[in-house]
Amino acid sequence: MPAELTKRFLDPAVLAEISSLDLVARTVVEGFIAGLHRSPDFGFSQEFAEYRAYTPGDDLRHVDWNVFARTERAYLKRYRGETNTEVMVLLDASASMGFASGAVSKFDYSKFLASALVYLAHLQRDSTGLVVFHDDVADFVRPSGRQGQLMRLLHAIDRARLGKRTNFSKPFFELQQALKRRGITVLISDFFESAENIVRTVEPLRFRGNQLVLFHVLDRGELEPRLPQAALLIDMETDEAIEASPEYARTEYRGRIGAHLDHLRSKAHAAGFEYFFLPTDRPLDEALREYFTVRRHRI
Amino acid sequence: MGLFAPWFLAGLIAAGLPLWLHLLRQYRENPQRFSSLMFFERRLQSSTKRRRLQYPMLLALRLALLALLVLAFANPFVRRMERETARRKLTVIAVDRSFSMRYGDNMQRAKAEARRIIGQLNGSDIAEVIALDSRVEALTRPETDRNILISAIDSIQAGDLASSFGELTRALRVIGENAGMRLDVYFISDMQESSMPADFADLRLGANTFLKLHCIGDSGAPNWAVETVSAPTHIYGAGQARVSATIAGWNTPMASRRVSLLLNGKIIASKEVSIPANGRAGIEFLSFEAPYGANRGEIRIEPHDPLPNDDEVPFSIERADPRKVLFLYQGSRSREAFYYKAAMESSTEAGLTIESMFAENAAGADLSKYSFVVLGDDGELDQVLERKLREYVRRGGGLLISIGPSVERAGRVPVTGDRVAGRLDQQSPGFLDGQHPALAGVGRLENVQFFVAGRLSSTPDARVIARFADASPLVLEQRIGEGRVLTFDSTLDNSTSDFCLHPSFLPFVVQTGRFLAGSDDASLNVTTGTPVQLRRGADQATAAEVIGPDGKHELSLAQATKSRDFNLDREGFYEVQRADGKRLLMAVHSDRRESDLRRASDETLALWRNTGSTGQPAQSGQAKQETRPWNLWRYFLFLALLVALVESVFASRYLREGQKAA
Repeated sequence: MPAELTKRFLDPAVLAEISSLDLVARTVVEGFIAGLHRSPDFGFSQEFAEYRAYTPGDDLRHVDWNVFARTERAYLKRYRGETNTEVMVLLDASASMGFASGAVSKFDYSKFLASALVYLAHLQRDSTGLVVFHDDVADFVRPSGRQGQLMRLLHAIDRARLGKRTNFSKPFFELQQALKRRGITVLISDFFESAENIVRTVEPLRFRGNQLVLFHVLDRGELEPRLPQAALLIDMETDEAIEASPEYARTEYRGRIGAHLDHLRSKAHAAGFEYFFLPTDRPLDEALREYFTVRRHRI
Repeated sequence: MGLFAPWFLAGLIAAGLPLWLHLLRQYRENPQRFSSLMFFERRLQSSTKRRRLQYPMLLALRLALLALLVLAFANPFVRRMERETARRKLTVIAVDRSFSMRYGDNMQRAKAEARRIIGQLNGSDIAEVIALDSRVEALTRPETDRNILISAIDSIQAGDLASSFGELTRALRVIGENAGMRLDVYFISDMQESSMPADFADLRLGANTFLKLHCIGDSGAPNWAVETVSAPTHIYGAGQARVSATIAGWNTPMASRRVSLLLNGKIIASKEVSIPANGRAGIEFLSFEAPYGANRGEIRIEPHDPLPNDDEVPFSIERADPRKVLFLYQGSRSREAFYYKAAMESSTEAGLTIESMFAENAAGADLSKYSFVVLGDDGELDQVLERKLREYVRRGGGLLISIGPSVERAGRVPVTGDRVAGRLDQQSPGFLDGQHPALAGVGRLENVQFFVAGRLSSTPDARVIARFADASPLVLEQRIGEGRVLTFDSTLDNSTSDFCLHPSFLPFVVQTGRFLAGSDDASLNVTTGTPVQLRRGADQATAAEVIGPDGKHELSLAQATKSRDFNLDREGFYEVQRADGKRLLMAVHSDRRESDLRRASDETLALWRNTGSTGQPAQSGQAKQETRPWNLWRYFLFLALLVALVESVFASRYLREGQKAA
């Protein structure tokens, strides 16, 4: 990516200095939208479905005023998602998400991402919910499109705190029970688990007609760890300790984590998931724009 | 291989430091939290294992560096066979020429033994001849010429001094250090026990010195000698002399000897004395007349034994009129002269008579006829008299100054110029230097009270020989030219102290008088080796003179004007004229320890021999193989330096790699 283009996007470190997640989400979303040709149907549930005659009680904001001008009848513009799409954001709050080699930790970055997604979904009038989990469900906001849902979601994201270790099995089982409608499920995690295990755990969501999107968030320090000298590494989730040498971190580790990324991407695609890799040093608006561009072309 | 300082090996503990640095320190002090360890494998990640694989050379170099440094400090050595040739050794032939070697033909036998040793030397051997008595004299330089060595041996004559094995040992150490080669010492002596030093440590030879002892003479040889003679050195007036003597025998049976008293070569009395076996007998000669002047006395026993020289002891005795002492006093203070005169003339040994004189009348007096002058408390001394007194002292005269109220008022001591500032009340005597000849035998002046005294401030050239209890000077001694001045910080009457009423006043007056009159000088009857003082100061204006027992002048012209002392090394009478003009007839006899011919025990001699290198001296002309410790610390230090250089190269390489990796 050209440097001048990169400069247009927001450095995650800048986002970290904004205390309000609302503002972060607005900044990110408006930022990546501003970089595109404005499109009214840009979002998760972007498929136009039909016009419906206005009935008292409908939200006037959804009235298609162009049609009204031409026909003097009020019609509401309806999208496919409004009828059957529900966006559920699953945010991993395990201890490993607290890792940071720079100004922004994976968890902060994931919070920004989750905020941006729920904000975007709100703009699209999608029914949006949130699950914060680690080895258990830490917080759950039921999907809804009602007034105030956005703020509820943002508050839930804001108060999310790191837990202990990641355990997909238990929260996903409970989530399967909670999700009654098919929709889009967004899973934000560092996926420090075997690809098979991840896919096996989240695959049941796919069987219910859900679209599953995996946002794989990793720190640059996890991809290319820098050890100036031999060090005793302590696992943030298990407190397990292991001695690591700079040479191993420089060579074999990078190969292994690269293989893990490739394998997870491959397995996710094979299982029909969308997989998107997000290093924390990448501008979030730029990443989202790329993701949605790819997604629109795919659809 | 051995170690001179093995305790330095404890430094090998420091080798643990690099091990700790390499294996433990790095990761123990640098734990890092990491998100997940699922991509790290335990089997490969032990930094300990990796460092063992990665830095073995660096670790080995550091360990080697430490080990080499520790070894260098431990001072390792190996014993190496060295071929020693005769060229690298110095043969020292030491011959005892002390008084005891006069016994029988001991000296001839010693010379014959020395010549035999020289005859066995190889042509290329370096040898030196030294002679020993109380000092060591090198008779030759290190030589290869046998004729010079034999001539030196032939020139050796038994002397009158006592031998000192400690002095020989010290000289051998010096010779060994200067020569820088091995010493083979052949010591030819009668090995008297009395020649051994009091401390055996004084017999420690150098490490490279081989001592071989050649004993001459018979350890059980009987010998009689006149051991001591007690005779007055001076007789004053019409008094008669009394002489006592001790006759001793060593390894002797009970025997009878005729003991004669000789005066100026004539036998004036003889007595038979029975001497017990290995014992002593005393004898006295009472009431004999001695003519005026210096007389040469002698106690002799007959018949003589194989060591005849110790059968006679010379002594000097001088008859003279009592010497005069001038007491100068102020008109109102004649009591000082009264007390002083009474004390001095009560002693018959002092030989001093007091003449009193008003100080005002003394300006025209001839001071040279007085042994010394006493200046009573006089703070207003006439300047002419003061200059005269100063000149008198400078030429060798003595002066005793008493300080009382008059001097205290003037604030200045006449002649010496010392200051008197302040006043002392009710003082008692404190420290007295009993070793000083002016106060020898005076005692501690117990119970004496000084009611009042001036506070005397001494000049740097003055010596405080007695103090008050508060440490203020009581008696000062000063030398002006050839003369002596004693300053007594009190009067000699009972006006300022009760000193003159105490018994200690008498010895004080007599002893200070003898000191100022010069009668305290070393006894006229001394043992060989005793020095006699020729002059007190560095004044070279007048010459001293010494005429030896054989009637010859002993001093060169330079010595006569410069020497301050002269050693009386031979038995007999020495006529000494000191620089101050005083004439002495000194009687010198040998140290009677030399008369005891008992030999030191074989064990003691073996111990002495073993303080040097053990084993036998190398045979002349033979090359000898011997092991010597060869010091290796330099090589270890050099290796350590080399390893340190290599280590720095490796370390910098690893450092660069580490930086690249980071």
